[in-house]
Amino acid sequence: MESITLFRVIRTGMTNFYRNFWLSATATLIMVVTLAILTLTLVSFNITRVAIQNIQERVDISVYFKTQVSERQILDIQGELQKLPEIAAVKYVSAADALASFKEKHSDNQLIQDSLGQLTDNPLPPTLQVKAKNLNDYPKIAEELSKVEYSAFIDKVNFQDNRSVIERLSRILSAVKRLGISMAAVFCFIAILVIFNTIRLTIFNRREEVEIMKLVGATNWYIRWPFIIESIMYALAASIITILFTIPIFNYLLPRLNTYLGTNLTNDTWGFNLWIIFAIQLVTALILGIISSTIAIRRYLRI
Amino acid sequence: MIRFEKVTKTYKDKKAVENINLEIKNGEFVSIVGVSGAGKSTLLKLIFGEEKVDEGKLYIDDIDIASLEEEDIPYLRRKIGIVFQDMKLLPKKTAFENVAFAMEVAGYPREKIVHDVARILDIVGLRDKTHNFPDEMSGGEKQRVAIARALAHKPVLLIADEPTGNLDEGNSFEILDLLQKINQLGTTVLLATHARDLVNKIQKRVITMDKGRISMEQAKGHYKL
Repeated sequence: MESITLFRVIRTGMTNFYRNFWLSATATLIMVVTLAILTLTLVSFNITRVAIQNIQERVDISVYFKTQVSERQILDIQGELQKLPEIAAVKYVSAADALASFKEKHSDNQLIQDSLGQLTDNPLPPTLQVKAKNLNDYPKIAEELSKVEYSAFIDKVNFQDNRSVIERLSRILSAVKRLGISMAAVFCFIAILVIFNTIRLTIFNRREEVEIMKLVGATNWYIRWPFIIESIMYALAASIITILFTIPIFNYLLPRLNTYLGTNLTNDTWGFNLWIIFAIQLVTALILGIISSTIAIRRYLRI
Repeated sequence: MIRFEKVTKTYKDKKAVENINLEIKNGEFVSIVGVSGAGKSTLLKLIFGEEKVDEGKLYIDDIDIASLEEEDIPYLRRKIGIVFQDMKLLPKKTAFENVAFAMEVAGYPREKIVHDVARILDIVGLRDKTHNFPDEMSGGEKQRVAIARALAHKPVLLIADEPTGNLDEGNSFEILDLLQKINQLGTTVLLATHARDLVNKIQKRVITMDKGRISMEQAKGHYKL
C-alpha cells in the first residue's frame, strides 16, 4: 500500500512538471543558468589555482658555471648552498647532461641537430638549479650567489623574478572567488524566486484538486509531496542539461589548458572531475528546488 | 455516533453555532433545516474537522474531535463522505476517474479501485456514464458522481450540504431517493437543506436551526419556519 502511494505521489509530481511545459522550461532554464555560473566559478577558480601552483613550481635560480670549473668544485659549492636555511634543494646538471637534454628537447629540429654534430666541444656549461623553500627567499639567494667568493667560478646567475606574476594571479584568484560567489548567490536567489513562483502557480492551478483531496481524506504528506517532486524534477533536468554542456567544453578546454600551462590536467584531476562537478550541480539544484518549493507550500498550500 | 455537548463556534465575535446539544445515532437519516446563515454548514464543518470547536465537546464514535491531531483529520474524513451543492468534481476527469481519485488518495490498489468504482457507479445509477466527463452530464448526474465519490471509502456517515441546491425538482427527488437508498444500506445520512418539499417527503427526524441554535426537533418532522 505504501509503495502504490509513493508511486502516485511521484506520478502526480511528474504530471505537474509536464502539464505546464513552458513554466517548467523557464524554471529549468533559470536553474541551468545558475548552475552554469556556479560551474564556471568553480572551474575558473581551479584553473587559476593550478596556474599559480604551476608557476611556483617553475621558479628557480640557475647558476651557470664557467666551463673550466671542475665538477669537484661545483659539488663543493652545492654542499655549501645546501647548508643555507632558505634553500630547499640544489640540483647539479653536468655539461654532458645539459647537452643530452638539449638534444632531446630539440630532437625534431634537424638544423640544431646538424649544428651540434659539427661541434667538437660541449658548448653548454654545467649548472646548479636552486629551489628555495619560500618564494620570497629567491632575491636573497640570488644576492648570496653574486658574492665575490663565488665570482671566480660562476659565469652567470639567472633568476627571473616571477613573484609579480604570481601576485597578479593571486589577485585574479581572489577576484574570481569574490565575483563568482556573489554572482552565484544572486542567481541562486533568482532561481529560488522563479521556482517558488512556478510552484505557487501549480498550487493555484491545482487548488480544486487539493480541496477535493482534503475532503476525501488525503494525508498532508500526499498533498504536499507532488509539489516537492516537481521541484526535484526541475533540479534533475537542470543538472543533467548543465553537465551535458559542461562535458564538451571540458573536452575542448583541458588539452588547450595543458598546452598553455604545461600541466597535465585530466578529467580525474581534483577540481576537474566531471562526476564531482555533476554531484555539486545536482546537490545545489536539489537544495534550491527544495527550499523554494517548501516556502511556496508553506505560504500557499492551505491544508 | 455523533454527540454534541454544549458546542459553540465563534467567527470574529459572531456565534455561528451556539450551545448545541445533539445526538445522532447510527443508521439515522437526519435533516437539518433553516434559512441561510442559520448555522447548518458550520455544524457540518465541525463534524468533518474543517472547523474547530471553540467551546463544548463533540464526539464522533466516542472520540473527542478536539483531541485529534492535525494528521488524524484525513483518517476521520475517510470515515465520512461529504457532498456539496457545487459538487466539486474535477472537470478533466471522467466519472470513473473522479470516484477513483478518492480511493487513490487513500492508497487503495488499482484492482480494488477498478472493482469498487464500477460497483459504486452502479449503485448511484451511472454505469453508462462511467467514461463521461462532468461537462457531458446533467446536474443530477454530476451530483450522483459526487455522491459516488463520497461513498468510495464506504463511509459510516454521509454528510450532504444542500446537495439539491443547484438542481430542478425532478433531479432533487432522485438525489433524495438515492440518499435514502444509501441510508437503507446502513450509512448514517446528515442532510442540510432548505428544500421544504424534500424534508416533508422524507418523514424522518428534522432539526431546525435558527441563528446558530437548535430551535426545534421533530422525530418525524416537517419543514416549519
